[in-house]
Formats: sequence, C-alpha cells, structure tokens
Amino acid sequence: QEFQFGPCRVEGVALPRLLEAFRTVKETMQIQDNITSVRLLQREVLQDVSDAESCYLVHDLLKFYLSTVFKNYSHKIAEFKMLPSFSTLANNFLFIVSKLQLSMSRLNDSAHRRFLLFKSTFKQLEMETALSKAFGEVDILLTWMGKFYRL
Amino acid sequence: DGVAALPAPQNLSVHSTNMKHLLTWSPVVLPKETVYYSVEYQGEYESLYTSDIWIPSKWCLCTEGPECDVTDDITATVPYSLRVRAILGSQTSAWSILEQPFNRNSTILTPPMIEVSQDGFHLVIELEDLGPQFQFLVAYWRREPDTKEHAKIVRRGGIPVHLETMEPGAPYCVKAQALVNAIGRNSAFSQTKCVEVQGEALPL
Amino acid sequence: MKNVLHWNPPESLRGAEVTYTVQYFIYGQKKWLNKADCKNISRTYCDLSDETADYEHQYYAKVKAMWKTNCSKWIETGRFYPFLETRIGPPEVALTTDEKSISIVLTAPDKWKTNPEDCTISMQQIYSNLKYNVSVYNIKSKRTWSQCVTNHTLVLSWLEPNTLYCVQVESFVPGLPRPAQPSQKQCVRTLEDPTSALK
Repeated sequence: QEFQFGPCRVEGVALPRLLEAFRTVKETMQIQDNITSVRLLQREVLQDVSDAESCYLVHDLLKFYLSTVFKNYSHKIAEFKMLPSFSTLANNFLFIVSKLQLSMSRLNDSAHRRFLLFKSTFKQLEMETALSKAFGEVDILLTWMGKFYRL
Repeated sequence: DGVAALPAPQNLSVHSTNMKHLLTWSPVVLPKETVYYSVEYQGEYESLYTSDIWIPSKWCLCTEGPECDVTDDITATVPYSLRVRAILGSQTSAWSILEQPFNRNSTILTPPMIEVSQDGFHLVIELEDLGPQFQFLVAYWRREPDTKEHAKIVRRGGIPVHLETMEPGAPYCVKAQALVNAIGRNSAFSQTKCVEVQGEALPL
Repeated sequence: MKNVLHWNPPESLRGAEVTYTVQYFIYGQKKWLNKADCKNISRTYCDLSDETADYEHQYYAKVKAMWKTNCSKWIETGRFYPFLETRIGPPEVALTTDEKSISIVLTAPDKWKTNPEDCTISMQQIYSNLKYNVSVYNIKSKRTWSQCVTNHTLVLSWLEPNTLYCVQVESFVPGLPRPAQPSQKQCVRTLEDPTSALK
C-alpha cells in the first residue's frame, strides 16, 4: 500500500484508516456546514489532475489543511470530542507532507492554479464557515488521493 | 493544597512488538490505597501546531495500571508524546512525560507463525492473525535440484489461503515474513515447513 | 449505485392518508430540484439512482409529508457520497467442471440503472482496482481455502474426482472500507474419473 503522486512515492499511510477516521466525524462535521451551495474542492480543482501535477497539488492542499484548517479548527474539534479521529488525519497528513517534500523540485503552474482556485473560494467565506466546510470535505480530498493509491 | 502530595508515576517506557504498543510505568504505591492513572497522548502534529492539546488515551482514561495499551492511539508513523498522572480520589499528581517521543516504526517484528497443510493436490497456508496492519510475503518452492522459488503476498492472517497446486514426487516447502506497510518494514522469515502430496503423477 | 431514499411515516398519522414529496440537492450547486415521480406519493421510499448517477458528486435529499391541508416541514438527509458509500454487490459466478478441475468465470456487478435501455456500466469501470476474494469449500475434506484474484477467470485444477466443491465470491475495493456482500454459495461436483472405473 503506497501513494504514487506522479514522481512522489509515499509509503506508510493506510488510506482505509483515514477514511474510517473521517467517517466517525463526517455527520457532525458536515452538519456544521450550512452553505451547501459552495464546494471548495470543486471539479475544476480535482478533475483530470495529471500525474505530474498531483504531487504539487496534494502537497499544497495538505499543507493548507495542516497550517490553516486543522490548526484553526482544533478548538471546535476538542469541543465535539473528536480529537482522536482528528489526530489520526492530522498526523498522517503531516507524515505525507514530510515525505512529499523530499521529492519535489520546482513549482508546477497548473497545479498551483488549481490550489489557488480552492484557496480563493475558501477566502470568500467567513472564517468559521470556511473551516467547517473544508473539514467536511476531507472525504472528497481522500477519495481523490485514493486515485493515486496502489495496493 | 493536597495536589502535590500525590507523587507522579516514574520510569515511563513503551514496549512495542508487532505493532502492539504498551506504555508502562512504575506504580505509585500508597498503603491501603488504590491509585488510578490517566494517560494522554500528543502526535507530532499536536506538538507542532496545537501544543496545548493533549488527547485522552482510548483505553486508559482511569486505569489501575501500571500499563496502558496505546496501540489505538498511535495511528500515524510520526513521533508521539505520552504522559501519565496518578489519581487518588479527587487528588491528581503532576504529569510524567515519556522521555523520548515514541515512533511506531521502532516496533519489534517477529517472524509469523505459519500452518502449512494440503487439501488433495492443493498447498494451503494459514498465517497468524496479527491485525489489519499486517500483510505477509509467502515464499514457496518444490524441493528438488535447481528449483525456483515463488512468492505471493497474502493480505491477511487467520484464514487458509491457497498457494499452489502440487505435483506428486517431491515435497513443497513454505516460509513467510510479515510486512507492515505503515512503517515500511518486514520481519525475518519464519521457519520453513514442508508437505508432500502422495499419489501418482497426473497425466500431462 | 442503486440509491433509494427511505423514510418512516409520521408517528401521529399512522393509517392516515398521508402523501409525500421529495426533492434533492447537488452539493456545491444552487437549487433544490424536484423529483417528478416522487411528488404526492403515498409510498415511503423514492429511487434517486438517476439523480445521483454522477457518483463523484455529493447529494442531499429531503422529504415532506402532506395530510389534508396540513404540510410538514422538510426533513433532510446528511450529505450522501455515492462513490464512498455505495455497497458493491457480488460478481456473477459461472462454474464448469471436468474430472479434476473447476473453471470459475467472474463478471463484475453492473452499475444499477432504472431504465433497462440505458447503456450498461460495469462497476469495474468505476472502481478500476476491483478485486475478488474466492472461497472454496471441499465438502469431502471439510477444508476451506481462499484466493484473492484480480482477473475474471480462475481454474482450480487437480481437484479430487467425484467430489462436491462449494464456491463463494466477494467483490472488494482495496483501500475503501466497505461491508462485503458475498455471492450465493454455488456447489458443483467434479466428474467421475473414467480411469478409476477400469481398475
């Protein structure tokens, strides 16, 4: 079991475990998101991502989740008593980013444009709303990552 | 001001074998008293980004100890900090923190136990069920001059798995090693076990 | 991917002539959409398979009850993600035997379609890494063993003649935790070994 994001290979993460961790918090998280007319990880961000782009895009997205979404939402997570699942996701995202860093050289413009589209949609929303929406879309992110998961 | 009176647990350490992680400590001994313990953990993420957040261990919120199975708490291959405190009635001790953060990639991997059997001409193996993190690399060969070794990945233990259809006339031998993708490591090979199928060679 | 919305009738109106109306919503889009043939219905389910056929989208559904001139408020589902949440049925299993072997041919389950005229999509096309877990039970030796296969044909050779073997198969997608649905157990007997009759 490993991820192969184009040139970047990441071993040591069990995708089913992450999906299971999210599944236990999905309902509580997605109920917080009442602006259902907006989807952050929309098709233009994730559809037809080439192998070459995939490493850069997953790196940018996971880094954003770690440094912005998870960091600013942890107080709410603690409130909902969902810290164990949150910790599983956050620490595995951290592990993946650390492995990706090693094999990335220069920027990839089209991947960066996709990430900027995601980020601009995020910024258009009020912070708390954007955080809960982004967290509620982790299943979309994991499903897309699953396309690069080899067994 | 009784809080400081209760001594904190000492000598914390983690013993990890086959991805089962056991936190142990020296018990706090008070005559005629039962002291309980509470365990909490922090992954690398929490220590980097939300260092004030510690997460109660799944199985040791209030345990008689002096040990705690933290396997279900350690769910990533990153360093984890662990801490324990003693509880006596309403009194709680200071936290004792594990000196060195624990990373599950240091777990000891033992060769798996294997059962090799046959069903007619069919070579069947059953491997020890070590949990969902484990797969197995099974090597098998026909014991005869300049033989060729075959290999097969078996996804989980605890169920009989078909390996090969055997031809009579020579024993078939099998050995296996445990693979843990989560930490990118594998165990040594198990003992080799052989079986031989009786009966006439089948017409080609 | 047969996605059917179910609900219970209002407790207080058991036995009364209540009708229901259903709407659905595609996450990230703007409006709730009507489901034509689930308007003023008396049954308590509505097949939304066509409306949720794009399995990479996520959906909500809602239903309200009407009784005489009274109208309930809408009751809404959580966010439904077909790609992750649909169950994958067992494959079709075809067995043929001779004296010492059983040939197994597996056909991946098809994506559900409400209109038979629609073109058929195999679940293999949706989940390219779909695999099968084949379990074989030898009635005589009372032994069971299994094999994980990716392709659609498997030959169990060098079996015992004139012996009953039972086969059961599960589809699974590695990487996506999902409850398995095994196929019906099928049992076949290997043929008599003609040479043994001469001895």
